[in-house]
Amino acid sequence: MTKKKIHTSSIQKRLIPSYIFLIIVSFISVFPLYWMFSAATNSTVDVARGKITFGTQAVENFRKLLEQQDLFGALGNSFLYAIVQTVVALLICSLAGYGFELYHDRHKDRVFSFLLLAMMVPQVATMIPLFKMMSSMGLLNTVWAFILPSISTPFLIMMFRQNSRNFPIDVMEAARIDGLNEIQIFFRMYMPIQKSTYAAAAVITFMNAWNAYLWPKVVMSDNRAQTMPMLIANLAAGYSVDYGVLMMGVLFCSIPTMVVFFVLQKQFAEGITGSVK
Amino acid sequence: MKRKVLSVLLVAAMTASMVAGCGTGKGSGSSAGGDTQSAENPTAGEDEHTLSVSAWDKSFNIPALEAAAKDYQENVDPDFKLNINEVSQSSDIENSITLAGSAGDYSTLTDIVLFQDHWIQKYVADYPDAFQDVNDADINWDDFAEEKLSFSTIDDKHYGVPVDNGTVVAAYRIDLLEEAGHSIDELKGCTWDKFIEIGEDVYNKTGKYLLSMDGDGNDLVYMMLQAEGESQFKDGKPNIVENDKLVKIVEIIDEMVQKNVLYLANDWNDYTDQTILGDMVAGVINGNWIIPTIEKVEANSGKWEITTMPTIEGGDGYASNGGASLYVTANCQNKELAEKFLAYTFGGSQTTYDAALKNGGVITTCISAGKSDVYNEGVEYFNNTPIYAEIVEMGSHVKPVEQSEYHYTCREKVAAAIINITQNGADVKDALQDAEDQLNFEMGN
Amino acid sequence: MKKNKMSVTSKQHAAGWAFLAPATLLIVIMSFYPIIQAVFTSLKTGSSANMKWAEPLLYNYTRMFKDKLFMRSVGNTFLYLLIEVPIMLILAILLAQILNNKDLKLKGFFRTCVFLPCATSLVSYSLIFKSLFATNGLINSILVNLGILETNYNFLGNAKSAKVIIIIALIWRWTGYNMVFFLAGLQNIEYSVYEAAKIDGASSWKTFWNITVPLLRPTIVMTMIMSINGTLQLFDESVNLTNGGPANATITMSHYIYNNSFGQGVANFGYASAMSFFVFILVAILAFINMKVGDKRD
Repeated sequence: MTKKKIHTSSIQKRLIPSYIFLIIVSFISVFPLYWMFSAATNSTVDVARGKITFGTQAVENFRKLLEQQDLFGALGNSFLYAIVQTVVALLICSLAGYGFELYHDRHKDRVFSFLLLAMMVPQVATMIPLFKMMSSMGLLNTVWAFILPSISTPFLIMMFRQNSRNFPIDVMEAARIDGLNEIQIFFRMYMPIQKSTYAAAAVITFMNAWNAYLWPKVVMSDNRAQTMPMLIANLAAGYSVDYGVLMMGVLFCSIPTMVVFFVLQKQFAEGITGSVK
Repeated sequence: MKRKVLSVLLVAAMTASMVAGCGTGKGSGSSAGGDTQSAENPTAGEDEHTLSVSAWDKSFNIPALEAAAKDYQENVDPDFKLNINEVSQSSDIENSITLAGSAGDYSTLTDIVLFQDHWIQKYVADYPDAFQDVNDADINWDDFAEEKLSFSTIDDKHYGVPVDNGTVVAAYRIDLLEEAGHSIDELKGCTWDKFIEIGEDVYNKTGKYLLSMDGDGNDLVYMMLQAEGESQFKDGKPNIVENDKLVKIVEIIDEMVQKNVLYLANDWNDYTDQTILGDMVAGVINGNWIIPTIEKVEANSGKWEITTMPTIEGGDGYASNGGASLYVTANCQNKELAEKFLAYTFGGSQTTYDAALKNGGVITTCISAGKSDVYNEGVEYFNNTPIYAEIVEMGSHVKPVEQSEYHYTCREKVAAAIINITQNGADVKDALQDAEDQLNFEMGN
Repeated sequence: MKKNKMSVTSKQHAAGWAFLAPATLLIVIMSFYPIIQAVFTSLKTGSSANMKWAEPLLYNYTRMFKDKLFMRSVGNTFLYLLIEVPIMLILAILLAQILNNKDLKLKGFFRTCVFLPCATSLVSYSLIFKSLFATNGLINSILVNLGILETNYNFLGNAKSAKVIIIIALIWRWTGYNMVFFLAGLQNIEYSVYEAAKIDGASSWKTFWNITVPLLRPTIVMTMIMSINGTLQLFDESVNLTNGGPANATITMSHYIYNNSFGQGVANFGYASAMSFFVFILVAILAFINMKVGDKRD
C-alpha cells in the first residue's frame, strides 16, 4: 500500500512541470474571459482605464444595453438561426457522410474529393453572387438566407464520413433482413449509434452559426433580423462607445456557446475522436 | 434510450422548420424573428400615412428623425408614422444600395435613407436608378448654407434635404489655457505657428495636448485645407504634392506631433474615448457633431468655449467636416408624402430643428431655423455662450471647395503618409508623392 | 438468383446516391456556382448596377499585381500564416500530449480551460483584445505597474506591435480548438505502442517524435489545412481589432477585398472578385502541397 502511494506521488512529482505549464496556459486562456465578465460590471471609464476587479455597474450596464439595443430580439434571432442551421446541417451532412462511407464506390469517392474542393472557396469570393441569388429568390432577411450557404459543409460531411467507419455493416445487413428499408436503417440504427458524432457536429455548427458575422451583415440588413455578433459590432461602432455596455453585450453573445460546449463537452470529445481515426 | 434521442432530434427539426416557415411566410421583407411587428413590411411604407427611413447613430440622427416625425404628426397628419430602421454605421446604408444595385432590385431599400454627404455624388452617378430627386419639394433652398447644398445638388437638381451641419468648431478648455498663461481670444483665427506656441505652453504646464485627431482617417488635413479655401483635388485629379498649402499643412501636423501639441489616436474610438472622454486634451477641432461627445465629461462643464479655426497666414478659418442628408430612394412608392414630410420638417420647421437640437445635439444648416430662441440660449457646458447660433453663423462663411468621389480614399492615403512621416520620419514630399501615386492608381489615372 | 441480387443492390445503390444528393447539390449551388460566377465578374468593371466586360479582359488581374496595397495585404496574411500556424499547432500538440497522460489529474478542468476561448465569437474576442491592449487599458497598466514599461505603449497604433497582437489573439483563440483534434488523435493510438517503446528504453522525446508524430500525421494534415485556410481568409480580427491600421499596416487579403466590395463604399465588385479568385487559387495550391507532403505513406 505505502509502496504504491510512493509510486503515485513520484509520478505526480514528475508531472509538476506539466502542471505548471497547464496552469499558465489555462490562466492565459481564461483571463480575457474573466476580463469580459469584470468589464461588464464596470463603468466605461473604469474599463477604459483597465480596472481589473468586479464593479457595481452590472445592473446599470444591462439596463443601458436593453435601452440601446433590442437584446432579446437579437438573442431570439441568433438562437433561431443557429438552431435551425444546426438541425438542418446535421441531418443533411450526416446523410451525406453515411452515404459516402457505407455505400461507397469509386464514383462516390470521386464526388467526395470534388466536394472537398469547396473547403478552399473563400467566403469573400462567393458573397456577391450568393447575395444576388438570395435577393432574386426573395430570401433576404429570412432564416434561409442565413443558413443556406452553410448547411452543407465539406468539413461536416467529412466528419460524418470518418465516424461512419465504425458503424458495423452486419447491423445493416441484419436490419435489411428484418425488413427495414434504407431510410429506416439510417434513422433507427445509424442515428442513435452516432450520438457523439452528432454532438460534436452540433457543437461546431452551433458555434459557427452563432458567431457568423460577415455573411449576416450582407443578407440580414433589416435590424429586426439582426444577430448577436451584429448587435455587439453595432455597440462598438457608435460615435462613442460605452465599454461597460459593450462588454455586457459581449457577455450575452458568449454565454450561449459556452453553455452548449459545457453541456455537450463529453460527447464532443468522443465525436471528434471518431472523426480523426 | 435510442428512440428517445431520435424523437428529440426529430421534434427539434420539425419545430425549427415550422418556426422558420413562419418567418418566411410573411414575405421577403419581414424578419425571421417572428416578433410582433413583423406583420408589416419594414422596407416600404404600406399605407399613405407611413414612411420608412434608414439612419445611423442613436444619440444623434435618430432623435432628429424622431423629432421630425413627432412634429409632422402633431401639426400635419395625426396618422403619420415613421418607421426608423437603425443601422450601425453609415457604410451599412451605402452597402445596402451597392447590393440592391448589383441585384437590380431596389425593393429592399427604405423609402428614405440618410446618406453621407461625401459619398452621395458617387452613388447617384453609379446608381442613377436608386434615387429620386426632390427638386419639386416645397423648400426654400436659399435658406440653407451653400456649402451643405453643394453635396446634394447633382446636375442642378436637388436630391437631398440637409439634416445636420458639419461646420467645424475649435473648442478649447479655458481653464487650462489660463493655467498656461493664455486665453481663447489669442486662439481665435490665429496662425498655426501661434497655435503651436500656445500648445507647447499648454503641454508643458498642464500635460494636456492642445489637439487630438483620429490618425487613421485624418480629417484634420481636409479641414485645415478648406479653411484655406483649397481642396485635395483640382479638376478631378489629386492635387497633393504640387499643392504648397497641403505640403505646408502636413509639415505643420508633423511639427505639432513632434512638439506634443497634437496627439494622433489609433482610430475613431480611440480618438473619442481615450483623448476626449479620457481627458487628454485641452482642445478639439472637428465638425460640431463632436460637441455631444465633449459634453459627456460632466466634470468639465463650464470650462469649454468655441471659436474659429487657425489658418496658415492667420485670420478666421471656416471649414466643414462630415454630415449627412436625407435622400428619397427608388423604392419609395409615395414620393409625394416623402417630399411633403421632408419639406415640412427638415425643410425649415423650427419645431423639428429645436427638438433635434435639444434631443440629439443636431444643428441645422437652415439659416432661418438657426435664429430661434433655442439656438440663442446660452449653453451651460460652454460657459453659457450661445454656441449654436455661433455655429450656424460660422456655417454661412464656409466656402465650397472641389469635392471628389474619392474623398475618403484620398483621406486614407494622406493619413497613411502622415503616420509614415510622424512615426518613421519619412520625408514629407516622398510620403505625399507615394500617397498621390496610390490615389491615382485607385482612381485609375 | 443473380438477377434478384442485382435489383437489391441497385436499390441500395440508388439509396446511396439519394443520401448524398442534397448535400452535394447544396455545395454545388452554394460554393461552386458562385465561384464560377465570381470568375466572370472578375473580368468586368464598373459599378455593381452596371457592369461591363473589362477592356482589356484581364484588366482587374493586371491591376491586382500593380496594387501595392493588395500586395501588402498578401504579405501581411502570409506573415500571420508563417508565424501563427506553426506556433499554434506545436502548442496544440504539446498541450494534447500533456493532457493525454493518464496520470494527470484535473484533466477535464484543464481541457475545458484551454478550449474555452473558441466558444467566444470572433467579433467578441477581437473586441476583448482591443480593450485589453488599449493605450490606457489593462495590459498597459499592468506592465507599467510591474516596471516593464515606463509609460503606456500604444500597442495597436504601431505597425509591428499591432501585428504581434493580432498573432497573439489568433493563437489564443485557436490553439484549444486544434488541441481537441490532436487529443482525439492521440486517444486513437493504442497505449501498448507506448508501452513497447518504453520497454525499448526510448526517451519520451524520442517516443514523441518517432511514434506520436507519425501516427498523428493525418490529424496534423487536417488541422494544417484548416488553419492555413482559415488564416488566408482572416477577416474579423483585422476588421474589429485593428481595422487594418495603422495606415493599412495590418490589413489582410480578405479585409482588403471586403473594403473593395463593401467596406469603403467603393463597391468595385469586378476587382474584388479578381482578388478573391486569386485567394482561392492560393488556398487550393497550399492545400494541395499540404496533402501531397502529408500523404507520403512511408
